Amino acid sequence: MSRQDHIREFAANALTEKRVDYFIGWKQGYNSSEMIPAFVTDPAEADQLVWNPLCHHNLVTFIKRNMPEPADAKVGLCVKGCDSRTLVALLQEGLVDKDRLYVVGVPCDGIVDRRKLEKMFSSEITEIEFPERGKVKVTTRAGETKELDQKDVELIGCAHCRYPNPLYSDNTAGPLEKEPDREETKPDWSALEQYESLSDDVKQALLEKIYATCIRCFACIHVCPVCVCWDKCVNRSRQPELVSQKVGPKENLLFQMVHMFHVAGRCPSCGACDRACPVEIPLGLLHAKMNKEIYDMFGFEPGVKLDEKPVFQVFDLKDQFGD
Amino acid sequence: MAEATNNQASGAATTGAAPGGAGAPDRPVKVVGIVCNWCSYAGADTAGVGRFKQPANLRLIRVPCTGRIDPLFALKAFEKGADGVLISGCHPGDCHYSEGNYYARRKFELAERMIHHLGIPPERFKWTWVSASEGQRWQKVVTEFVAGVQKLGPREGKAL
Repeated sequence: MSRQDHIREFAANALTEKRVDYFIGWKQGYNSSEMIPAFVTDPAEADQLVWNPLCHHNLVTFIKRNMPEPADAKVGLCVKGCDSRTLVALLQEGLVDKDRLYVVGVPCDGIVDRRKLEKMFSSEITEIEFPERGKVKVTTRAGETKELDQKDVELIGCAHCRYPNPLYSDNTAGPLEKEPDREETKPDWSALEQYESLSDDVKQALLEKIYATCIRCFACIHVCPVCVCWDKCVNRSRQPELVSQKVGPKENLLFQMVHMFHVAGRCPSCGACDRACPVEIPLGLLHAKMNKEIYDMFGFEPGVKLDEKPVFQVFDLKDQFGD
Repeated sequence: MAEATNNQASGAATTGAAPGGAGAPDRPVKVVGIVCNWCSYAGADTAGVGRFKQPANLRLIRVPCTGRIDPLFALKAFEKGADGVLISGCHPGDCHYSEGNYYARRKFELAERMIHHLGIPPERFKWTWVSASEGQRWQKVVTEFVAGVQKLGPREGKAL
């Protein structure tokens, strides 16, 4: 039984037993190369749910604020390893109600970076198939077909994933994936090395170029599962005004720094912001850098243990910062 | 801010004009200081009352506690054109509200690292502790920090 069948079965059962009012999973979009989030309310519709390496959406986003209407609805959802860390981060702070959730954990062996794929072909991608585990078969509108290794077209974070299995779930869809030895291997931040080796002036010039393209569409903030202020976002606030309405690299970078600082200690670098950005600003790297420093400072990985508090909400008298 | 006025003349004389790089504007640097009401602001006052000479490039912002200081205040100051940002509060253990600075130091440490990540040199951002009685320490901290910023000259960064 494939993971997809497990998900369908769990969803159908939960809906039939009225354990949940609706179930959030993934389904096929307008063609077989694009998956989109699916909201299933009828057990008969559970067959539309899918699971494949294109299901990149972090569904925790949909429950991050008050549970969707009606307010007392019970929600089922699928989480991958990285998604489960965002869920744990929300649970750590009591931002979602555990009792109204039914979580199906989906062990994951890597998600395909669709943007990376698109850049490899001159024609539009019409179909992406997965003939066997670890292989990706792409068909374009021009009729070109190519088989690739999944490892070559994965998201940046997947190559060194430390948590392929969900850390919090009520049921697991199929057998667990092989986990790396987390005691032995430290988190990998080699993607940052190139940027970190640059001089200050070059960094500034590069940031100016990158952040000039930001259109402040708020996609990164809307899609972020752990960016949770319900009432007022300081990025939108005009009184007090932290981020100016003026548009320029400075303001845009400040806008992103607001997001980054506000999710510090809660963001496990799931990469949702990175994938949502329409102008392809490498937000994942900014958040990875933040997590690298947090790990360096506290040895803390966000969203791993349910009984842990995020590092910026607690303190330790023995902290050795400052002079 | 009595201490700033007291030292205006001497401060301007000691700092002088910016050396700067090629094309850098020729002006004294502007440094924003964010200080807590109970220790560092009082420490600055002690320095003023004691007539300790210190640079006049510093503009102080008084906040109730370092725990109130959002790292984004520093970034906002850089965005608005500050050449340097100095944050100071009570020594750990001396917080007027018991534990504000214990939270604050965690935040500032991350802020400092992220500010360097943005290509702003370490000399332009400093956070430290100065108590109400440490007028001389305040003088030393400010003089050294401003001298460091002055050496780099005014900022013309286009990205924050």
